[in-house]
Amino acid sequence: MPDAFDPIAVMQALDRQRVTYIVIGGLGRVIHGSDELTHGLDIVPSTREENLRRLGLALDELNAQRPKGARPDLQRDLGREPVLELLTDAGELTIVPEPAGTRGYDDLRRAANREPLGHGVRPWVASIGDHTRMLAALNREQDLVPLRTLRRLIELERELSRGLSIDR
Amino acid sequence: MTSGTLIREARLRAGLSQVELSERSGKDRAQIARWERDVVQPSFETLRELVRACGFDLEAALVPYQADKKHDARLQKTLQRSPQERLQTMLKARGG
Repeated sequence: MPDAFDPIAVMQALDRQRVTYIVIGGLGRVIHGSDELTHGLDIVPSTREENLRRLGLALDELNAQRPKGARPDLQRDLGREPVLELLTDAGELTIVPEPAGTRGYDDLRRAANREPLGHGVRPWVASIGDHTRMLAALNREQDLVPLRTLRRLIELERELSRGLSIDR
Repeated sequence: MTSGTLIREARLRAGLSQVELSERSGKDRAQIARWERDVVQPSFETLRELVRACGFDLEAALVPYQADKKHDARLQKTLQRSPQERLQTMLKARGG
């Protein structure tokens, strides 16, 4: 599997199959302004049956495989594992039906925003507050830096919206 | 972190709606919404009451702090970019 990472191509495939999902994780944080590097796309799909069927079609199109090479079976795999890690022709794709500290798609959708990313792709992206909530709930040492960055971004955004600190 | 994000994070981690937090804390729901949006800031005592109503506590401690001005400058720069530019910048940096 190539080391490519083309999140736009993954999202275009999801859009072609009309999959309903929300972007979370490192890429979601980058879209909010975090200065980290990330190597995959994490999504929270709606777990409605028809949406999972569409997601399956998109995964076929992307030639998605489990790390050991098996083809994913969404109904079976998502019933057994809280997180489904996949390799696709366009890079890593992680499916997280219920991220830590949340109740899944419907919960995150309330505060999510559609963000234009180019090439006609405008995914729903979890809010920066919800990204903070997810990282805090994981309570992992490796997330301390991104968590601090998100909290600082929230402060800077507030200052920016009040015109306190940034000369534009 | 702002007081608003702290209240919202505590409320959501407790699985409470604003109405439920209002009932538990005795504070007006609309006021809770304003605090969460950082339109106005609660006092420290009120913030602690709200967090406790969610089943958490707020431990205040003085710890050394030094602003990371370089990091702040980087973040301020990314905030001035569009989401599309932020993504492209990251992908470019990732590619070396």
